[in-house]
Amino acid sequence: MLIKFFADVRKFTGRLEQEWTRPAPTLRELVLGLAEQHGQAFLDRVLPGGKLSATIIVLVNGQSIVHLEGLETALRPEDTVAFFPMIAGG
Amino acid sequence: MFGWSGTILRVNLTTGAIRKEATNPADTAKFIGARGLGTKIMVDEVDPKVDPLSPENKLIFAPGPFSGTFAPSGGRYDVVTKGPLTGTIAASNSGGSFGPELKYAGYDLLILEGKAAKPVYLWIKDDLVEIRDASHIWGNLVPETTELLRAETDEEAKVACIGPAGEKGVLFAAIMNDMHRAAGRSGVGAVMGSKNLKAVVVVGMGAVKVADPKGFMAAVEKARAAVKLHPVGGAGLKAYGTDVLVNILNETGALPTRNFQDAHFPTANKVGGESLSEKLLVRPKGCYSCVISCGRVTKVSNPKYMGEGEGPEYEAAWCMGPDCGIDDLEAIVKTNFLCNEYGLDSITLGATIACGMDLFEAGHVTLKDTGGVDMSFGNADSLVELTRLIGNREGIGDKLALGSYRFAEGYGHPEFSMTVKKQEMPAYDPRGVQGIGLEYATSNRGGCHVRGYTIAVEVLGNGAKLDPHVTAEKPFWVKLFQDLTAAIDSTGACLFGTFGMSGEDFASMLTTLTGVSYTLDDYLKAGERIWNLERMFNLKADFTSADDNLPERLLKCPIKTGPSKGEVSHLADMLPEYYQLRGWDEHGVPTPEKIKELALD
Repeated sequence: MLIKFFADVRKFTGRLEQEWTRPAPTLRELVLGLAEQHGQAFLDRVLPGGKLSATIIVLVNGQSIVHLEGLETALRPEDTVAFFPMIAGG
Repeated sequence: MFGWSGTILRVNLTTGAIRKEATNPADTAKFIGARGLGTKIMVDEVDPKVDPLSPENKLIFAPGPFSGTFAPSGGRYDVVTKGPLTGTIAASNSGGSFGPELKYAGYDLLILEGKAAKPVYLWIKDDLVEIRDASHIWGNLVPETTELLRAETDEEAKVACIGPAGEKGVLFAAIMNDMHRAAGRSGVGAVMGSKNLKAVVVVGMGAVKVADPKGFMAAVEKARAAVKLHPVGGAGLKAYGTDVLVNILNETGALPTRNFQDAHFPTANKVGGESLSEKLLVRPKGCYSCVISCGRVTKVSNPKYMGEGEGPEYEAAWCMGPDCGIDDLEAIVKTNFLCNEYGLDSITLGATIACGMDLFEAGHVTLKDTGGVDMSFGNADSLVELTRLIGNREGIGDKLALGSYRFAEGYGHPEFSMTVKKQEMPAYDPRGVQGIGLEYATSNRGGCHVRGYTIAVEVLGNGAKLDPHVTAEKPFWVKLFQDLTAAIDSTGACLFGTFGMSGEDFASMLTTLTGVSYTLDDYLKAGERIWNLERMFNLKADFTSADDNLPERLLKCPIKTGPSKGEVSHLADMLPEYYQLRGWDEHGVPTPEKIKELALD
């Protein structure tokens, strides 16, 4: 699974992207696994109080998880998961 | 009057007549100011069928009630005219400090008529208004022009001017103010050039009168706090600028690539806001009364593309980057500097070169045509060279200066032009984001994202979270955003204030500033009125519902790769509902009932 981090989320991971090979059947489990690697600050940014932050956007294969199953979105090894802060512009 | 200065300055460049007229309170109540009030003047005074580059067209500099106040990001003004690129009404909006200065000098509008016999500039210092010779600065780039005019008038003066592109009639020439800010779209700079007007130079010592100072400051403080607390308005845009959007649009599968051949660019990250901040950003910068600071002061040290200036915004980075198949950020930043120096709309510039590259690779444009310039996708050196050629209207640049539609049509293939009403679409692919396609198709100034930025709710989850791939509800949101944006533009506020401020915040500030009561409904109704007035101008200029369309490539050619692979735009599924919501007939014409409801009869 390919995991990508953008804008200020990169500050917590120190990298643009990484391969994820450990089991992660849902997005929630992936985030918890990433937090083990990147620390409490990452967890607090993405999943404060166990809920997805209102200022985080997560895409699975380009689709916002808002239109999938949220944190319970099922993941497959061939998926791409991208983490963004709330951003805008134009 | 409060909020408005109460005076309109009218200058006839043919006769040299300078007149000051009273601002009509009935007009400001209905059309607010800036884009709305300027459009009202155009409708009242200019034949919609006029040749945009003839003396009969008018050029209106229009700040709004917020311009020059403490309202957050209230430093904007509009240039309203008939646009030579599109033939539609054009209202191009810019930041910086020029708009507030015009208010401080005492003017709600500056209306320019006719054509000067020789190059001139307009010098305004409060009540003093002079038409001065500009022969000695004609031909100069924007930075030199600005410095020369400040030196011979006032070092504190604010300058709005054209560069060589506007002088030479590039159909997408911009009017630049404060050196780096652009009233960019639709060719307003070419209209200024056609009038032999090099610049407007302003110093104002006045102030904006406020109807309810305590109420206004309370509303301002509330609005400023809302923007500062918002994750986008408060921190995100300052840290990364608008170019931060490159990656999320790419990951969504809606980043137009190689002239909309595709919507996913594998090396997009190289040109995104994160890379710009890490490598070339000197500091963020804000406009007048700005609490956001999305502006980018940037510098390139590489001798090949050396330069200093501002930008690029997301749209520029996209059209000079992925849309041209280019991932060289330094070349993109250099090209953006050149756009500011020559006075060019960066979006149409990049998208027109992308169209040229597409035609070149298809064999419709040859090396003989280009004078030896390799116009292959991905050629960063050619991007920079072509920009200079366009700014000077030399070689192939003379034809590219007409924009992509006329360029592609000249080679027998207008279908290669990614335009709506002959204006290049910006950086969101309507196949991957359905609502923005409807917005482009119905925009009153041709392909444009800032008439109704549905990306906020379709991709960014800002205000609502809509699925970008479906058409349901999109006509409602397009209409709502178009009306709200028309109102915000007409107030003299920055659209980015919506990253924190609500419609009620805008209405509350406008009410306490002007003393004219605006509920949110009143405010939105004014926006709807302005939208319909623009539409009526365009209909009289012979535009029809057939022009509310997208290029065939977006309707019939699916996206090839990436997350939105296989998608096309479903415009036809949305347009009838949009007309219905607008109170227009099936031909897109406002019904008599709607015209009466909006008091436009």
